[in-house]
Formats: sequence, structure tokens, C-alpha cells
Amino acid sequence: MPELLQINQLSAGYGPLRVLHEIDLTAHTGERIGLVGLNGHGKTTLIRAITHMTGWQQGSIRFDGTEIGGSRSLGSGRRTPRLIKMGIAVAPQGDAIFPGLSVRKHLECGAHTKLAWRERRQRMEQIFDIFPALKPLQHNLVGKLSGGERRMVSIGRMLMSDAKLYLIDEPSLGLAPKISKRVMEALWALPVEGAMIIAEQNVSLLAGRADRIVGMHAGRMRGDVGHVELA
Amino acid sequence: MDLGLVVYALNLAAIYALMAIGISILWSSVGMINMAHGATFAVAGYTAWLVTGALKPMIAATFGKTALASAVMAGALVGSALLAGAVCGIIIYALAFLPIHDKPNYPVRALIITLALNIGTVQALLYFFGPRNQGLPKIFGFGRWEIWGAKIRYDQAGTIIGAALIMSLTLAWLRYSRRGLEVRAMMQNAEGAAYSGISRQVTALPVLMLTGALAGMAAALLSQTIFVSPTAGVVPLVKGLTIALLGGLGSVPGAMIGALLIGFLEAIVGVVPFLGQRYVMSATFGFIILVLIIRPRGIGGLLDDTRE
Repeated sequence: MPELLQINQLSAGYGPLRVLHEIDLTAHTGERIGLVGLNGHGKTTLIRAITHMTGWQQGSIRFDGTEIGGSRSLGSGRRTPRLIKMGIAVAPQGDAIFPGLSVRKHLECGAHTKLAWRERRQRMEQIFDIFPALKPLQHNLVGKLSGGERRMVSIGRMLMSDAKLYLIDEPSLGLAPKISKRVMEALWALPVEGAMIIAEQNVSLLAGRADRIVGMHAGRMRGDVGHVELA
Repeated sequence: MDLGLVVYALNLAAIYALMAIGISILWSSVGMINMAHGATFAVAGYTAWLVTGALKPMIAATFGKTALASAVMAGALVGSALLAGAVCGIIIYALAFLPIHDKPNYPVRALIITLALNIGTVQALLYFFGPRNQGLPKIFGFGRWEIWGAKIRYDQAGTIIGAALIMSLTLAWLRYSRRGLEVRAMMQNAEGAAYSGISRQVTALPVLMLTGALAGMAAALLSQTIFVSPTAGVVPLVKGLTIALLGGLGSVPGAMIGALLIGFLEAIVGVVPFLGQRYVMSATFGFIILVLIIRPRGIGGLLDDTRE
């Protein structure tokens, strides 16, 4: 299997603060990786570092044969749209929703390629197949939806354009156990060909479903996940 | 209230709304308070004056004194003003956005740079053209309709219709195009927009061109009522800014309602006995201050509350 994402000796942080320490991680096409670790141990920062949302970083990130890491800080978010267009789709923590847009408009935002924009209606129908709960809400403002529905909208937006790498940050955060299970089931059932990295605190949601589970502790990679309580 | 007063109020509101919407959209999507909006207004007015002055003999020679001639003249005036506004937008993008947009305190830096641009441009216009007022050709012609005893001048009707047309086009663009969707997404959540592949650098350019063109349209329409002069942009800029604030900076419907309110307020204060024209400005700003004390988020905040 070809290597899609190769992270070498990545350090990253915010301002003077170093959060990630010499991270190594490789993801292959078709692989679903679970990234586990407690709050504040660097899962979100790793995802933000891959998408250039952190303030600075050192080390190398190769995506699909291209170097996208950089030792020089370009300011947070400046390169992110370009990386998204290269084929990285993100469902960020806290969903980063547009409260004043309807569910339909919100999903349309995710259709950033020409092809996806032309096919946006069909793709939206596919997303309503994955999350049937969204279909009756499609004209509602996203700001008025419940946490679970917002999460579905956020994941739906991620799926509107074809990507090679999907990064999903804490899909179960703040959701009732029943809803988070449903969201996770939908995630595992996605007909996605590229690689998927799911950051999650709750190992039981990943166990048995992810191809590989890697742990993070204090900003470093750990092969085992023993430090996270198996709840 | 008689109809003539309503038309006068709508006429004021149309010009104010064109300015305020531009300032509002620009602030919420690009994060810039564009003090050079007044300079854009003046430059668009002068460009229209130069272009129509240069084309006048040619148009007269080709079309004579026909209706077609005035239509071509109107097209040249509005077109050159829109184009000049958009070009000003590109210049502001190159000077006040691109070099500094990811530096700390960007809004303050942009404010200072655009203010400098505004002052510089006004001085340059004074240097080259002098302080004299310049009259533009009247594209709507002279004359008036009488409806139910009220007199409506052609230029008033033309301004209201023209502004309504261009604002509907702007709203449709925001609503239905991908670029418009990107602007609205950027207005609401910059991080979510970045994760949707929406780049601030790329989207800022059409937004600046659009808001510049809106100022150009306002200049073209106002030139039908008053003259063009280097400092002509000051009052529209101040009115546009304060109405954008009244509307709750960033809310397009809020800016439109704000413009209507101020237009009617000014028209009414102007005819009330004991008050009259000299109290118009103080009444306007008093009203805006009062609204912002009671509703700090302006009319846009009020609209959000009623929606919830």
C-alpha cells in the first residue's frame, strides 16, 4: 500500500509553547487510524499541525509525495485552504460551523472543487443517506441544531469533496453515548477510499474497528494505549 | 407625510445603503474598516467626469441628440464609475490587505493604511483638479413626474431604482454564487472557512472589488444630484460608516434598515418646524448614539434576537 501521509520528527506549538515533540506517524491509503490520548496530550494539535493551523512547526510532513510541512511559520491558517484543496478533509474539534447558514448552504461550503460544486445536489443526497436525521432539517439554520446534528453537519461538510486523507477530531466529544455511537457507526461505514485518522478519547469507540490504534502522551507518540483508561 | 418627502428620504437611503453595505461586508469578511471608501467614492466620481467629458463630442457626433445618445452617456458614466471603484478596490487589496493581513493587529493596521490612502488620494485630487466642483452630465435628464400632487424628479427616481437594482444584484450574488457563499462563510467562522478550502487571500480580492464598485455606483448616482469634488467622499464615508455601525457592523440587512431609518430621519428633521436642515447632522448622530447605547450590537443584533 502506498504511503499517503508520512510525518517525520514533527514538533509544533503555539507561541513559545511546544506541544508536540518529534512525532513520527505514517498513514497508508485505505487505512483507518485511531489516535487516542487524554485531553491536552496533543491529539488536536497534531491534526492542526498537519493542516497548518498551529502557530509554528518543525520537521517534515509528506502528503501524497509532496512536502507540506515547513520549518518556517507562515501564520496560522494561511496555508490551510491550499492543503484542503490538495485533498485533506477535516472535521475539526468544536465543528467550526457557520451558525447563520442553513444545513444545505453549509454542506455546499464543503464542495470546494469544481466537480463537487457541479454535483453538489447528488452529493448532498448521499450525505442525507448517511445521516437521515439531517434530511428534514436541511433548511434550518445550523446555529439552532443540537450538538449531535452539528457534528453530523460538520462531518457531512468534510465529505462533500473527494479527499485522500480525512482527519476527524473527537467525533464523540460532548455527545450523548447513544448519539456518539451512531456518529461513529456512520464514520466506520463511510465508503471512503483514502486514509482516515480519527482522534478520540474513548478507546471503546475505536476498538475492533480501527486498523491501527496509536496513543499520544504528553505530546509524544506511544505505540501502546495503556495510559488511556479502557472505558 | 407627503409622497415627495418619502421619495427624498428613499433617495438619501439609497446612497447611504450603497456605502454602508460595502463597509459592512468588508468588515465582516475581510476584517478591514475601509477608511479609503470615501477616496474610492471621489476617484470614481472624477473618473466618470473625465470619461464622460472625453466621450461627449464623440457621442454627440455619432448619435446626435437622440435618446440613444443619453443611454450611451449613462452607460459610460455608470460603467466608468463602477470600473474605477473596482480598480480602487484592487489598489486597496495590494496596499492595505496583502502585505499585512496575517500580521498581529491587522484591523488597526488596515485602518491606519486606508486612512492614509484616503487623505493622500483627496490631496492628490485637489492637486490635479483643484477644489472646484465639477458637474456631470445628467443621465436621467431634467424633469419631473407629478403623482398625486407630489413632484418626483427623474434623478431621484433613477437613484432609487439604480441603487435598488445594484443592491439586489449584490444580494443575489452573495446568496447564489460559490464566491458569495465563501464570503458569507468567512463572515461567520474564519476557521471553518479555512477548513472548507476557502482562502482569505483569494476571496478578499473580489470582495474589495465589489465594495469599491458599490462606492463607485453611489458616486455615479449622487453625481446626479450634487457636484463632484475632491472632498465629496467625506460625508458619504462618515454616513456609511456610522450607518454600518448602526446596522450592527457585518449585517447586510441591518445596514439596509439603518440606511432607511437615517434617510427618513434626515428627511423628516429637515422639514419639521423649529428644526430644519441645520439640525439634520446632530439629529442623525444623536439617534445613532442613542441606538448604540440601548442596543450595542445595532440593528443586526436585534434581527438575530428576533430570529432566535
